Amino acid sequence: MARSVWKGPYVHPSLLKKADAARSGGKNVIIRTYSRSSTILPSFVGLTFAVYNGQKFIPVLVTDTMIGHKFGEFAPTRNYYGHGADKKAKK
Amino acid sequence: MARIAGVNIPTNKRVHVALTYIYGIGPTSAKKICEKVGIGDGINYPRVNELTDDQLNVIRAEIDGKITVEGELRREVSMNIKRLMDMGCYKGLRHRKGLPVHGQRTSTNARTRKGPAKAIAGKKK
Repeated sequence: MARSVWKGPYVHPSLLKKADAARSGGKNVIIRTYSRSSTILPSFVGLTFAVYNGQKFIPVLVTDTMIGHKFGEFAPTRNYYGHGADKKAKK
Repeated sequence: MARIAGVNIPTNKRVHVALTYIYGIGPTSAKKICEKVGIGDGINYPRVNELTDDQLNVIRAEIDGKITVEGELRREVSMNIKRLMDMGCYKGLRHRKGLPVHGQRTSTNARTRKGPAKAIAGKKK
């Protein structure tokens, strides 16, 4: 079910604070975050975030098409390298 | 022969069924169109070949400007998928790999997306 509109989009408060600081301050600041469930706001466009995927931080450069999506969508938590048999068959 | 929204030529069927032959119009919107232009009584609908040219034109006008159908709708859908793929989000990756997008299981089933089952070498009994 979709989130109620009156609540507004969910963004972790500390992430919002860091993003504001990055925008007003110098550029090329990579914001590390564990908050995969935070929504990407229009004000985040152009910033780079490092989103944790459970093992490491995945750099995500926010573009305007990403607005409204969550950070977690851009940092996959699973990596599938295929089955051994599949690889042999391809070679 | 009746042409509505480009190439579709459904005839010999009742209007609310014939309209569903158009890509982008299902049973619900077909009935809504009929209701709006005042064809049929909500239960019984005349067949397409029983309609006058005027009635057909009214239906055409109702569809043309107001509903995205056929090529335009197909383009819209594929553009939406392309957007997801270009963005590199999870749903886009699933589209790229041809796997189910809405979180279904893939250990078994998911044959609609994955296609016919592939035989695995050395797996017998």
